Amino acid sequence: MYDAVIVGAGAAGLSAALGLLRSPEITRMKEDGVEPRILVISKLQPLRSHTGSAEGGIAASLGNIESDDWHWHYYDTVKGGDWLVDQDAAQLLAQYAPETVINLERQGVAFSRTDDGHIAQRRFGGHTRDFGGEPVRRAAYAADRIGHQILHTLWQQCVAEGVEFAEEWYVTDLVLSRDGSGAAGVVAFDTHAGAVHAVHARNVLLATGGAGRLFHTTSNSWDLTGDGMALALAAGLQLEDIEFVQFHPTGLAHTGILLSEAARAEGGVLRNADGEAFMERYAPGHADLAARDVVSRSIMAEIDAGRGVADPKDPDGPRDCVWLDMTGIDPDHMRAVLPQVVETIEKYANIDPSRDLVPIKPTAHYTMGGIPVTVDGEAYRWEDSGRRTVVDGLFAAGECSCVSVHGANRLGGNSLLDACLFGTRAGRSMAGRIAGNPVGDPTAADDPDRTAADEALAVAGDDAARARREDLDALLAGPDDDASDGAAANPYGLMALLGSTMERALAVRCSETTIAEAEERLDDVIGPAAAALRAHDKTAAFNQEVTAIWEVRHLVALADAMLAASAGRRESRGSLQRLDHPERDDERFLAHSMTRLAPADGPAAAELLWQPVHIVDIPPRAREY
Amino acid sequence: MTSSTNVTTVTLKVSRFAPRPERERDRARTGSPFARRSSPFGSGSGSGAARRRPRGRQWVQEYTIPARPEDTVLDCLMTIKRTVDPTLAFRYSCGHGMCGSDAVAINGTPNLLCTATLRDWAKRPTTSDATDDEGFRHTGDVADDAPADDADSPSLGVVELAPLPGFPVQRDLIADIDPMLDQIRRLKPYLQASGTLATTSEGKVDVFEYLQHPDELARYEQLSNCIACGVCEGSCPVFAGGDAFIGPAALIWASRFVNDSRDTQAMARMDAIDTPDGVAACQSVRACTRQCPRGIDVGEEMWQIVAKVRER
Repeated sequence: MYDAVIVGAGAAGLSAALGLLRSPEITRMKEDGVEPRILVISKLQPLRSHTGSAEGGIAASLGNIESDDWHWHYYDTVKGGDWLVDQDAAQLLAQYAPETVINLERQGVAFSRTDDGHIAQRRFGGHTRDFGGEPVRRAAYAADRIGHQILHTLWQQCVAEGVEFAEEWYVTDLVLSRDGSGAAGVVAFDTHAGAVHAVHARNVLLATGGAGRLFHTTSNSWDLTGDGMALALAAGLQLEDIEFVQFHPTGLAHTGILLSEAARAEGGVLRNADGEAFMERYAPGHADLAARDVVSRSIMAEIDAGRGVADPKDPDGPRDCVWLDMTGIDPDHMRAVLPQVVETIEKYANIDPSRDLVPIKPTAHYTMGGIPVTVDGEAYRWEDSGRRTVVDGLFAAGECSCVSVHGANRLGGNSLLDACLFGTRAGRSMAGRIAGNPVGDPTAADDPDRTAADEALAVAGDDAARARREDLDALLAGPDDDASDGAAANPYGLMALLGSTMERALAVRCSETTIAEAEERLDDVIGPAAAALRAHDKTAAFNQEVTAIWEVRHLVALADAMLAASAGRRESRGSLQRLDHPERDDERFLAHSMTRLAPADGPAAAELLWQPVHIVDIPPRAREY
Repeated sequence: MTSSTNVTTVTLKVSRFAPRPERERDRARTGSPFARRSSPFGSGSGSGAARRRPRGRQWVQEYTIPARPEDTVLDCLMTIKRTVDPTLAFRYSCGHGMCGSDAVAINGTPNLLCTATLRDWAKRPTTSDATDDEGFRHTGDVADDAPADDADSPSLGVVELAPLPGFPVQRDLIADIDPMLDQIRRLKPYLQASGTLATTSEGKVDVFEYLQHPDELARYEQLSNCIACGVCEGSCPVFAGGDAFIGPAALIWASRFVNDSRDTQAMARMDAIDTPDGVAACQSVRACTRQCPRGIDVGEEMWQIVAKVRER
């Protein structure tokens, strides 16, 4: 029995571990001689987590370069999210951002510096002064490797704290108590030994990151398969606002690899086939630094109008890109402040950004929605009756969760902030639960109530592990003789099929027709194929195909929920552009979608509820950039 | 992924390894909470682990697939997983050289799968294809029957892939790099300063960042870009050869903190690496520099930290 199991070791999971261990409650507990039993499970070695790929910055109103105010950051976050932001949560985000960034620095992050030694800050899309005025330098950065710096620093601090990791373990099940009221642990597959383990825990925190692999073109790593969100769905829980996926405007053509927004912050300009710097037309005053959803939609509009360009590598291919023109940036300055961007372009496009135009297209980047959590990281159910019921001991943080501070569209610089800040808060609230009743408390060992409660959790976990072992055995038994061949019989091929299906249906824009087509394909082809997948090798140790099969199944369930939520929201807001419902509709949809999948084998209809947005002091207005 | 015009192919020769079905072998994995706990600071110099012989079946498998010169080796392996052989095992994650997962030996040279392009790494087959310099046994490919160029699908050549040298193989191209991480952990790889953290009240923080001039940052910034991929370690003849050596990666991490103006423990850090298996074991071969995916001049940095340790 663990006090807490943290699933995922990126910025959110590691922040939660540190927030927990450094809390006053746990410090006192340790002084009393009781060690907390904490385990961090990750499907990757922690340093491989996708946090490390974040390039641009982390937003905070430090005011190191020019005057800034957290109220402005708060306003920008709400407006950027097209008013689908819970304003109480966004207040916390903006107010505690300086503390969060300063503490990252004090733990070792190698931030870029001003000449007087303070943390340097740069402009980022959507961040303004005076409530929507001039752009402001708010994004703290470390050249263009802020994610790498933060990830490594947090891991280093976890080494200092002696955090215990289970690396390259894949969590297959979230286990709840029998009545579903609380967390009981997880079931995990140790990919090294090829063995399934029940991991009993009184508290579970999910911090598994996003789900970019739902789409063919994505900036996300191969591992971002929406695992935590799918685990919640499989446990019968809801996802909030899962229809909102941010497409980052500048993915390098035909790779999807991200070119940081910093490229435009430093002077890069988007141009269409005619050479026109078109963003000024769509977002006067903000132009290339408008919010990401605005820029992505503008790019798609240019492409739809026939003003797109073909990837020079594939000149006869579709004209589905536009140019990123960085030739106006001084080449030395470019190398100094955008080394990663320059390297990516040189390496993967084989061109020189100081002389050549760079072909880019929008790339699936961030899921604004996720597991619904309170501002203290507690997962909850939204009830028909209109109230939140917390799932005891279940927490979530980072991209797999939804607080919701990003609403319908996330501002650049707010994702690392969300992960670190609300990850820390979630860790602290777990600490409170643990300190009141630690597993290692010697005085409680004979308490019959406690023993019985733990026993019940353990039984639930063992049952789930037994079922998962049977599933593993079936996967390893190999394909049936009459099994289908080709892409659908292979998880990697099936993932590609799912990616192109979802991209056609939902990328940047959608309609009832595109959604219905994808739902049909999911129900008739991809879903059944995923269920029929078997591994082609019987050795369980390091059998990546087994993990990939579970990942595809996770993605399929998540696609189901995302399509249902997209169909249900009959308006256009933030990243969701419904071609058949082009206007925002605050009358009906100033509310979070709460999507729950029907139990397996039941009728496929997902259940959709609506939770009102928390408006504090910024009433909805037209969102203009 | 491949364009319809001008189809070319590449042949990948992959060293494969299938572990013998496990009978609870006694392997203390630091990454596993259920394995016997070893010392929190790792397993000595780690070189014992590096020399452990893997048990299982080894063979070399050839795959010929459509590919373009600008494709990366990772692109090719993903194509193989998708369309030919889903059982082939290799680590990969971000796909653009930031996560450090996918270091292997490419034509005998440690490098990342996702940054190595066929343009640079596919070799035209030659008549005598000797075993590689790193001493990896190629059990099945004595006769090189690489497909001859034919008009329909001209071959870009051959790429040979093997797990990262210096680390025990676990499966196919997956190697156990825990010895490297243990060595990094052993040297307290975290900023040691006052430890005080900021808190917020009434919208204001009570503590500010440590001040650091850009020139001070420049002394360690590049070192802090290390992604712990292990390429330098696999390239180092001392480390990969199995001598007692804490390895270039751990020394880079140590140097990163020694050179950070915020850190208060530079002396203790230098004491910790002034050991026979520390700086004294570096023989200045500088093979560690050549393929560093972060562009760190590892050999030069070794030289600098050795000098610094001696002069203290």
